[in-house]
Amino acid sequence: MIVMVELKSRKIFASGVWKENPVFRQILGICSALAVTNLLINTLIMGLSLIFVVTMSNVTVSILRSITPTRIRMMVQTLIIASYVIIVDVFLKAYLPDISEALGPYVGLIITNCIIMGRCEAFARNNTVWPSFVDGVASGCGYAFVLLTIAFFRELMGFGTLFGMDVMPGGWTNWIIMVMPPGAFFMLGAFIWIVRSLGPRGEEEELKK
Amino acid sequence: MEGLGLSAPVIFFAAIFTNNILLTNFLGMCSFLAISREVKASLGLGFAVIFVMTCTSALNYLVYYHLLVPLGLIHFRYIVFIIVIAAFVQLVEMVIERSSPILYVVLGIFLPLITVNCAILGVALFMIIRNYTFLQSVAYGAGAGIGWTLAILAMGGIREKLKGASIPKPLEGPGIALIIAGLMALAFMAFSGMIQIQ
Amino acid sequence: MIRKRIFSVVYMFLLTFFFTGIVSGIYEINRERIAINEEIKLQKIILKVLGVQVPPGTLDARVRQIFGDRVKRETGQGRTIYRGFAEDGKALIGYVLPLFGPGFWGPIYGMMAIDPQLERVIGIAFYRHNETPGLGGRITEAWFEKQFKGKTLLPPEQEGRYFSFRPPGTAKAQNEVDAITGATGTSKAVERLIDRSLKDYLPWIAEQQAAGRV
Repeated sequence: MIVMVELKSRKIFASGVWKENPVFRQILGICSALAVTNLLINTLIMGLSLIFVVTMSNVTVSILRSITPTRIRMMVQTLIIASYVIIVDVFLKAYLPDISEALGPYVGLIITNCIIMGRCEAFARNNTVWPSFVDGVASGCGYAFVLLTIAFFRELMGFGTLFGMDVMPGGWTNWIIMVMPPGAFFMLGAFIWIVRSLGPRGEEEELKK
Repeated sequence: MEGLGLSAPVIFFAAIFTNNILLTNFLGMCSFLAISREVKASLGLGFAVIFVMTCTSALNYLVYYHLLVPLGLIHFRYIVFIIVIAAFVQLVEMVIERSSPILYVVLGIFLPLITVNCAILGVALFMIIRNYTFLQSVAYGAGAGIGWTLAILAMGGIREKLKGASIPKPLEGPGIALIIAGLMALAFMAFSGMIQIQ
Repeated sequence: MIRKRIFSVVYMFLLTFFFTGIVSGIYEINRERIAINEEIKLQKIILKVLGVQVPPGTLDARVRQIFGDRVKRETGQGRTIYRGFAEDGKALIGYVLPLFGPGFWGPIYGMMAIDPQLERVIGIAFYRHNETPGLGGRITEAWFEKQFKGKTLLPPEQEGRYFSFRPPGTAKAQNEVDAITGATGTSKAVERLIDRSLKDYLPWIAEQQAAGRV
C-alpha cells in the first residue's frame, strides 16, 4: 500500500515538473514568468511564494472538496488563493521588505496566476489531500524551475552577475536588452523552442496517428 | 500628492504606447496567446477588456480610498479588488444577456475569461502604487485596455500573415507568439522617446 | 433547491469569515514589524544624507536612538522637513527635505539634505522606486548620489531646472550632473522631481527660518 502511494506520488511529481510543466507545456502563468526574471534573487522568492500558495490552495480545496457546492466553487477557490497570497505578502513585507518592493504588484498577481486556479480545478477538486499536496509542490517546482533558468540567463547576460555576484569576465559588455521586456519574451520563446525540440508530448504524437 | 505633474491625457497615451500593460508589464498574456489567432475574436475580447478595465479602475479606486483606507484595511485589497472585478463582470454579463442577445453573442462569452485576466487586477494594483487620482486612474484603465487590445490585434494580424509561413515545429504556437511579442515590445520601446511616462 | 442555495450562501459567508480572520490575525501579528521596517528605513536614509555615520549592522534600537538625538521633525502646511543637529545636539547642521515624483516605472522617493544657509547640497539618497534594476535602479548607487554632494544650489533661470542631467562624463557646471547610461527616462524623471521638490520646499523653509520656526 505504501509502495503504491509512493510510486503514484513520484509520478505526480515528475509530471508536474516536466511532462505537464505548467509554463512550457500548458503555457500558464506566463505573466510573472516574464516580469520578475531579470534578477535571480527576486525570481527565487517569487518561485517559493508560488509553491507555497499553490500547495496550500490545493490542500485546502482538497479538504473542502466534498462540502463545497459546485456552483460557487470558483469563488471559493479565489477566496482561498487570495487569502494565501495575502499571507505571503504580509510575510514578505515584514521579513524581506526590499525584495517585497522589488516584486511590487507581482506578488498580488499570483492570485490571477492561471496555474493555481488550474491545479485546483483539474486536480485538487477530485483528489485526496496528499496527492493534491504533491501535485501542488510539483506544479510550483515546475514553474520555479522554468523561471530560475530564464532568470539565470537574463541576469548573466544582462548584468554579468548571478545572485548579485559578478561572474562574467572583465571584458564582457552587458546585453541590456536581456533585462528589458523584449529580452524576457525572446528568452521564454527560445526556452519553449528548445524544450519542445527535445521531446514532443506523447499524446500529441498519439493524436496525430 | 495630487496630480504628480502628469495630466490624465498623458497617462492615457502612455498606457497605450510606452507603458503598454502587456508589452511592458507582461500582464494579460494567457488570453493573449490563446485568442490572438483570430482577429474577430480578438476584437470582441478587446472591447470587453476596455469596458471592464475602465469601469473597474473607477470602482476599485472608490472602494480603496473611501472604504479600505479609512477603515485601515488596505492589506485586504487583493481580495476586495478581485471580488469587485468578479462581481462587476457577473453583473455586466447578466445585463447583456437580458437586454441584447446579439451583444451577448458577440461580447458576453468573453466575459468569464476576463475575470482571470491578470491585467485587470494589475491595473488596479498599479494605480494604487502610483498614487493616481480618480481621473488619472480612469484614464489609466481606459488606456491600458486600449493598449492591450492594440497589442492583441497587432499580434492577431501578424499571426494571420504567418499562416502561410513555415515555422519550425517546436516553435509553432506559443513559441513564435512570444518571439513576435518580443519584437513588438522592442518596437513599442521606441515610443518612450515621445512621451514622459509614469 | 432553496436549501441548496441557502447552504451555498451560508457556506460562503462562513468561509470568508474564517479566512478573513486568519489573514487579519497574521497581519496583526506582523503589523508592528512592518511599520518598524518602514520607520527604520526612513531614519537611516535621513541620517545618511546628513552625513551621520551609521555602520551597517547597527541594531534598530540604536538607529532610533541616534535619530532621536540628532534629528527633529518639523511639519506645517502639508510639508515635512527634518532638522539635523551636530553631536552636541545643539548646532544645526542641515535641513532634510523629501524628494518625490513619478519615475519611469513608478513613483520615486528620496531625501535631500541641504546646509542651514540653503546654499549647498550635503547629500541625496533615493529609498523607494520601481525602476529597472541595473538601469534606472542605479540611482541608488554611490557614484550617482555622490555627484550631488557639495553642489551649490543656484536658483535656476526662467524655464530652467536646479540640476540638469548630461550625458555621462560631460557634466561640468555646478548645476550639471551625469545621467545614467541606458536610463534616459529615469534620469529625466529624476531631474524633474528634484527640481519640483526644491521649488516646493526651499521658499517654504526660508519663510519658516525668517519666522524663527526652524
